[in-house]
Amino acid sequence: MYVEKKKISGKEYYYLKASIRKDGKVTTKTIAYLGKGNMSKKELEQAVKKHEKKPLLKDLGAVPGDIVEIRTKTSLEKGILMPSFDENIVFIKLDSGYNIGVEKSNITSVKKTGNSEPVEFPSLTKKQDQSLPGISFIATGGTISSRIDYKTGGVKWLMKPEQLLYLAPDLLDIVKINKIKRPFAIASENMSPKHWAELAKKTAELLNDKKNQGVIITHGTDTLHYTSAALSFMLKNLNKPVVLTYAQKSTDRGSTDTVLNLTCSAKAAVSDIAEVMLVGHAETDDSFCYALRGTKVRKMHTSRRDTFRPINCLPIAKISDGIEIISEHKKTNDEKVVVDTKFEDKIALVKFYPGADPSIIEHHIKEKYKGIVIEATGLGHVATGEAEKNWKDAIKKAIDAGITVCFAPQTLYGRLDPYVYSPARELLDLGVIYLEDMLPETAYVKLGWVLGHEKNKDKIKEMMLENIAGEFNKKISDKTFLY
Amino acid sequence: MDYKKLGLKSGIEIHQQLDTNKLFCNCPSELRDDEPDTRIKRKLSAVAGETGKIDIAAAHEQKKKRFYAYEAYDNSTCEVELDQAPPRLINEEALRIALQIALMLNAKPVDYVQVMRKTVVDGSNTSGFQRTALIAREGYVETESGRVSIPSVCLEEDAARRITTTKDSVTFRLDRLGIPLVEITTGPEIISPEQAKEVAAYIGMVLRSTGKVKRGLGTIRQDVNVSIKKGTRVEIKGVQDLKSIPDVIENEIQRQLEIINSDKKVDKEVRKANKDNSTSYLRPMPGPARMYPETDLPPIKTTIKGIELPKLLTEQFKEIEEKHKLSKELSQQIVKQGIDLDKYVKKYKNIPVNVIASTLVETPKELKKRFGVEVEDFEKQVQPIFEKLNNDEIPRSAVLEILVEIAEGKKVDYLKYKTASTDEIEAEIKKLVEEKPELNIGALMGVIMGKFKGKIDGKQAMEILRKYK
Repeated sequence: MYVEKKKISGKEYYYLKASIRKDGKVTTKTIAYLGKGNMSKKELEQAVKKHEKKPLLKDLGAVPGDIVEIRTKTSLEKGILMPSFDENIVFIKLDSGYNIGVEKSNITSVKKTGNSEPVEFPSLTKKQDQSLPGISFIATGGTISSRIDYKTGGVKWLMKPEQLLYLAPDLLDIVKINKIKRPFAIASENMSPKHWAELAKKTAELLNDKKNQGVIITHGTDTLHYTSAALSFMLKNLNKPVVLTYAQKSTDRGSTDTVLNLTCSAKAAVSDIAEVMLVGHAETDDSFCYALRGTKVRKMHTSRRDTFRPINCLPIAKISDGIEIISEHKKTNDEKVVVDTKFEDKIALVKFYPGADPSIIEHHIKEKYKGIVIEATGLGHVATGEAEKNWKDAIKKAIDAGITVCFAPQTLYGRLDPYVYSPARELLDLGVIYLEDMLPETAYVKLGWVLGHEKNKDKIKEMMLENIAGEFNKKISDKTFLY
Repeated sequence: MDYKKLGLKSGIEIHQQLDTNKLFCNCPSELRDDEPDTRIKRKLSAVAGETGKIDIAAAHEQKKKRFYAYEAYDNSTCEVELDQAPPRLINEEALRIALQIALMLNAKPVDYVQVMRKTVVDGSNTSGFQRTALIAREGYVETESGRVSIPSVCLEEDAARRITTTKDSVTFRLDRLGIPLVEITTGPEIISPEQAKEVAAYIGMVLRSTGKVKRGLGTIRQDVNVSIKKGTRVEIKGVQDLKSIPDVIENEIQRQLEIINSDKKVDKEVRKANKDNSTSYLRPMPGPARMYPETDLPPIKTTIKGIELPKLLTEQFKEIEEKHKLSKELSQQIVKQGIDLDKYVKKYKNIPVNVIASTLVETPKELKKRFGVEVEDFEKQVQPIFEKLNNDEIPRSAVLEILVEIAEGKKVDYLKYKTASTDEIEAEIKKLVEEKPELNIGALMGVIMGKFKGKIDGKQAMEILRKYK
């Protein structure tokens, strides 16, 4: 590349030019306009630098997927051009299958010599057995519906939902698949209450279709337990199984956990368990799955297959070849599912920690929040009394401002008890709602749903403490801890 | 056999373990034989390869519908080997060693390394793939029959160790999974079985020259590719040692010839080398659709700044040999055992270098052979002995005896071995010659040596004796 100075009507204009190859001939091309007037050498250098990083490959007529010859100062690279995550590196796939990165600044020319074959993922071809019980799928996103995009090198929602079945053809020995819906494809951390509502509506539709004995929802793991809680509250008069499942290991790899999760999910979906449940690996072995109650489940490990654990309760069932029931559950029935998605999203989940500044509560008052779940320590405490940063006044102020304040255990396991220490009794008297053994995430979802329905302070408290979707466990057995 | 007429084309692939922690986690690269702490069971499914088609090698394994059991240790394997957590960033020490090896083989490092996932469905990788990265290309080695190219130097993770196989399950131990392996591939320019051996030996020597590779059984593995006219390329895995390479190649040529002569087609396949240097079928040749980027890891910019190239072992042998005028064998042993001979020569100026060298190299063997004893931490134990020898406080002949005492755990009384003074010896010899005139020189020598057991130098005694007899 070089700088060209042009004089137009007495004024100087600077351009960045490059020699390129077009139709086999070398010609020049203006890469960028750099500036006008009497530019100093330094100013020019800076201007050039700014444009040097512009996508050179595009200028030279090659895009990812093209077969190219890249000439550098010292070598000639041949391969398929891969997309780059870094504008200073060009990635190519060599014939050996290896990808390498070439420093862009070393490249002198790029020549496209052909197109690579488009990448296609095989779809299901196996014939469905019409005599099997029917179910439907809802695919939302997450690792389970993601796979490597060989064109971009990244993980993408490339996969059509049908392609999931290709991975687990055994599904078709268990169920007949009626529909596969894809309301949205989104990573679970990017979901919001709106997505829960949409999912609830789609699920209800499918549940009220006689052809379906159950519904399987595939979902990212990160916030799966929020979604399972939301569906637990939003789907009233549940009549059939609603199974949420996932993958921690992407489907491009032989070690994917999807296969077991999907086959166990299919078994759960045609069972007599009319609950919103999360089905996935029970242990790190590819041995069996648990069906876990949607309101009492949590992601407890960043990457293990058996990341979802039941908290303060036992699984509903163990699923391997058959289904072994462990806990009481609602049975399938002929009711019509009513979807109830009213939700107040001006709610917050706040964690208390040593030294935490109560001004965080003030902030929520100022921002006109309607409800706050505070993850309290131990049996249900925040800093009060002799504490330098006392939360009591802020909490009182919030309650006085009409905000519903609930406490949930940050220990996750065990039940809150405001009666053991007096400061907690004082908070209770102020109007803090102690949510017993409810998970903070479930509490957050429930609070939004309750506030979406009720404005009356006493009614809100009553609903928050009412066991609507199995979010409370009146009796916590010893076995449940670290289950 | 006329290899040229047969159109023999051969290439080799060498896998060498590096002596560092694992490639993608911080676990030690250590093989264990004690009882594992954990045993987990997994299944692998056939998944679409990069082109969207199931690899034929993958499909072959899939048919077996096996269970895989993995044995792990609480303190020397972690979640990464169990495929429970993503890989940690690449081990930088291993990468540097791999780059060092690449440079020693005249190869050019790539600008950016991209770790790839290579589909593996025999269960030997918990993930279902092996992580591998191309580090450098376009190297070469010179041989007596010409230059052989090194198209690629890769850095990859070793597979898990197969422990038992039953009809429907295979048990692997995770201690080996993730040990860094440098993979060196030669071009198909090797034209004779002997040349293959020469190339393998040279590359092996280069690897050992770094001082950073693992030694011992199973730490280096050789694969050989063989093709002849009208035959096809067959890959032979796991050739036991260098010496077997020519035999294995010749046997494979023979096998292909037999197939060709019976008008059949030689299948492109992977075979394994047997103990008798014959081969047996392992699996179909994997298709090319086996690799895609490891999305859990960022690309790595290579840097060769500060990478020093070690002297080749062959150069080191020669240097010792010439500098100290030692035998070839002794020089090689000094280098192989990593003995810093110059340090000894500088410290013990009065001891001849060949005495130092042979004491360090050969005495331990002699102690074992003749006395059946072993001295632990030999180089440390021999220091006070060298000290006394250097100060002429003990004679050379006492060294072995003192070491035997050390090996037996006795406290050494160096005074017992004190070198007798020349005057003392001379007086004694003179007296003896006068008293026993009937004895010849040999007999006299025997009596003297017996009397001054371990305290005199034989050569010196003989010189004195000659003065009087």
